Amino acid sequence: PIESTRQRKEKQPFEIDFAAPLDQAVAELIYTQASSNSVISLPKKDWKSKSRNLLPDDKHFSSKQLLSLFLKPKARMGRRRVLGGGRMGNMDAHR
Amino acid sequence: TQVAAVFREAQRTTASHRKLAVTLRKIQDACCYEPTSTKKPAAGSEFDEDDFNSEFVRCALRVMPIKKSEGVGDKTIRFIGLFLRHAIDKDNEAMGEIDEDASTMPETPATRLTSHLIETVLPLLTAKDKFVRYRSTQLISHIINSLDAIDDDLFQKLRSGLLKRIRDKEAMVRAQAVLGLGRLAGNQIEAEPNSDDSDDDASSGLLERLLEVLQNDPSADVRRSLLVNLPILPNTLPFLLERARDQDAATRRAVYSRLLPALGDFRHLSLSMREKLLRWGLRDRDENVRKAAGRLFRERWIEDCAGTPPPAESGQPAEVSPPNLDALLELLERIDVVNSGGENGVALEAMRGFWEGRPDYREAMVFDDHFFETLSAESVFVVRTFNDFCRNEADGKYESLVEEKLPEVTKVAFYLERYIKVLIDAIKRAEEQEVEEDEEEDTAEQEFIVEQLLHIALTLDYSDEVGRRKMFALLRQTLSIPELPEEATKLTVAVLRDICAPDAAGEKEFCSIVLEAVADVHDTIVDDLPGENDDESFHSAKSEVSNDSTPTKSGKSKTPELSEEEAAAKAVKEIVINMKCLHIVQCMLCNVSGDLQQNDHLVAMLNNLVVPAVRSHEAPVRERGLVCLGLCSLLDRSLAEENLMLFMHFFSKGHTELQITALHILTDILNVHGAQLLSSNPALLKVYVKALRSGAKHPEVQAAATVAVSKLLLGRVVSDHDVSAELLKTLVIAYFEPASAGNQSVRQALNYFLPVFCYSRAENQDLMRCVALDALHTLYNVREGFDDDDADIDDEMVSLATIGACLVDWTDPRKCYSPAAGGGASGSGSGGLGDPAAAAAAERKHVNADVHLDFAQDILDRLGGNAPKEEKKILAALLGKLYVSPASTEPKTRAVYASVCAAVDTQLLADAAGRNALY
Repeated sequence: PIESTRQRKEKQPFEIDFAAPLDQAVAELIYTQASSNSVISLPKKDWKSKSRNLLPDDKHFSSKQLLSLFLKPKARMGRRRVLGGGRMGNMDAHR
Repeated sequence: TQVAAVFREAQRTTASHRKLAVTLRKIQDACCYEPTSTKKPAAGSEFDEDDFNSEFVRCALRVMPIKKSEGVGDKTIRFIGLFLRHAIDKDNEAMGEIDEDASTMPETPATRLTSHLIETVLPLLTAKDKFVRYRSTQLISHIINSLDAIDDDLFQKLRSGLLKRIRDKEAMVRAQAVLGLGRLAGNQIEAEPNSDDSDDDASSGLLERLLEVLQNDPSADVRRSLLVNLPILPNTLPFLLERARDQDAATRRAVYSRLLPALGDFRHLSLSMREKLLRWGLRDRDENVRKAAGRLFRERWIEDCAGTPPPAESGQPAEVSPPNLDALLELLERIDVVNSGGENGVALEAMRGFWEGRPDYREAMVFDDHFFETLSAESVFVVRTFNDFCRNEADGKYESLVEEKLPEVTKVAFYLERYIKVLIDAIKRAEEQEVEEDEEEDTAEQEFIVEQLLHIALTLDYSDEVGRRKMFALLRQTLSIPELPEEATKLTVAVLRDICAPDAAGEKEFCSIVLEAVADVHDTIVDDLPGENDDESFHSAKSEVSNDSTPTKSGKSKTPELSEEEAAAKAVKEIVINMKCLHIVQCMLCNVSGDLQQNDHLVAMLNNLVVPAVRSHEAPVRERGLVCLGLCSLLDRSLAEENLMLFMHFFSKGHTELQITALHILTDILNVHGAQLLSSNPALLKVYVKALRSGAKHPEVQAAATVAVSKLLLGRVVSDHDVSAELLKTLVIAYFEPASAGNQSVRQALNYFLPVFCYSRAENQDLMRCVALDALHTLYNVREGFDDDDADIDDEMVSLATIGACLVDWTDPRKCYSPAAGGGASGSGSGGLGDPAAAAAAERKHVNADVHLDFAQDILDRLGGNAPKEEKKILAALLGKLYVSPASTEPKTRAVYASVCAAVDTQLLADAAGRNALY
């Protein structure tokens, strides 16, 4: 009963024709075994990951660190010439 | 026949699966349960059970070669699972009571079908074709996840079959295999109590294998699918949580959006784990992870605290509990806000996200007298973060909200005063008697409360004169208390600066007020020791003292009346007080920007406090004095020049920390006063180069130097070409050399700096071009030096070809920001930063590519030289990667062309790829 029914169904790009018989090529594809286990396996060196696939500690480096002074983190570099009225203090940071 | 028709429908849409399963079941019924209710197939046209089964399996096999990308395959496999489930349920119904005997599984048509199917598909797990392996693994895993129980023999076969597939070459196969095994592992754990020991081993063995895969599988998909499918158990949890730092962003996000919400009450996690998870999540490099972590905090964790026991049964998300201050306070307690709410603590970020995402809480907050009278670490943190959020976020949209809820300045000052008093009393009590642990904890909490109130004070509006005066007087008085802890001192000084006018006069007033307080603090030495004469190096910051007689502390010259013990105690006290004074001064100087010589208070302070401190015999005093001297040098150029040698001396002679401090001071000085200081002091350059190469012994120093030099280069403080080149080359080498592999501070800083530097200016790119080949040569030698004896070199150093590609990329003129392009096509923001769109746009415009032509010339020169063969090979390969454009300078193009031709003629290049790629 399996092989006997053949009804052509309109070919749609993404459909499986369940009714059609197994053609030779497909059968071969399905039943051909891998020649050896190693052919279809991950090489041993990839079994272990030294880093355990984890990120290193983030140092959160950002432009801020390049633009501020070490000793006065609130003061921004490049504004130093604007003396007089302007000051580099916390006013800028908080207002 | 009919079976095939059902399958045909099933592949189209999952919506009809249920109906189709019923239909198919009817067919199965017809085949298996004959009207006579015997299993004997009726003779005639009808098919029997075997026919049905082989037809079913035949259809299932049709799915096997289907590619992964085809949805029909997935849908069919889902249908198979659904049907088997349905069929088994129906069978069980038919069997009725027999079910009670749990130890053996009743055999039914459905189980026979399942066995038949699995037996057929199992061999396909090792098929040669990867899609066959994929579909067969998918089918088996799916069946496992669809069924409640599996026959024991079959189980063993499945297990060993799938276990082999977790080492499959294809990630898609592995991902499916772990899906099935995760379920098997979970099942076995459940069964464990009743099973014997040998079984235990088997199951834990399986779990261990899976955990190993979770850590080591190179494919993120595999790791992620394990993450969400492994059973959550005490022994798996640490491995699962570890994935919060997975290299793959989607996997990290899955920890926050799937694993942790599924975990149940977060309070079962350890305190340090909660803090780590929050910190990792909220500061993740990927925005989506940050969002997921924020949501977890403000939606899940708060809910765990909100009291209403979650309806654990239904999978439905419980209704959001109404705002509940007590719940919020508990949440903050559970993340140990006294420790996590510090200035770099993650609680600040967590609460910023909380206020943003919970408007209901924003509205519900009430900060009345009662609230402020009974502040705890948690409640003060609530009001402080609420205040920060309302004032800083959303362009002041919520400013009115905080104005309305917070008391006026006078009242805040009043509460601040009260809590400062509590704090100081606690500290004094602690000093007098033996401290008990919970009292120490209490002091820490009081300190935290004061700090948070000061943070609020930093944001207040002092246009209200009454409030301003009240706060000013309070802080001035507070600053004179020697016991005031350092962080509170720092904040007090900052608020004082805020209250004084922002102009030069205000700065003077600020300095005089702070220095008065310093004098008060210093006087406590004298007050406590009436026997002491007035020959102190100084006793008041304002007093005029000549330095020549006793420049250092006279603590060691004892008066005869003092016993040795008393003298020692006095010396210690003196150091403590001096440290305190220096600290106040340091905080003050951080808030000062005017000219030093214009400010008498500062000059006096420098001479009477800072200079003696730098000459002190006590290392801590000396080192803090150094920082203050550095800060003063930022305000006065001649002072900086005079002391440059001193700072360099501290670098070469100091311990690690002092070296870093010295580097910081020197770099700040150069940044503020310009590069002439560098060019007039050749030794200074050596300091930087030495520091950059100190990685092996002092990684922290190398890290500090990396940031320092990056600043100097990016700020164009170093103007001399040779100096810049030397520094940049050292940085490039430091970036790639294996010695820095473990120094993430260096690597990450450079990872940021190098492209920014190159892409921000054409001159910078050209500088990079100048040093590129020298650096590459050095790195070649570094690598050669390793080759034989160190197999791990590949982990610590990328290949030279990769390095070369980096260098070419950094010098790619298309990626450089060019002001000439009017910020339109080629430049995006401050330097393109490798934005592919910008690069593409630039390419269309034909950027001048002189820099790459020069690079090509450099390479050709090297190829003509006597570099090692291997190195030449790498260089030649780079030629093909260079960008050549008609917009380049013509003579240059011709010159390079001539060189290339010459190279071809003399057969300089063995491989033709290089020369061909050039044109």
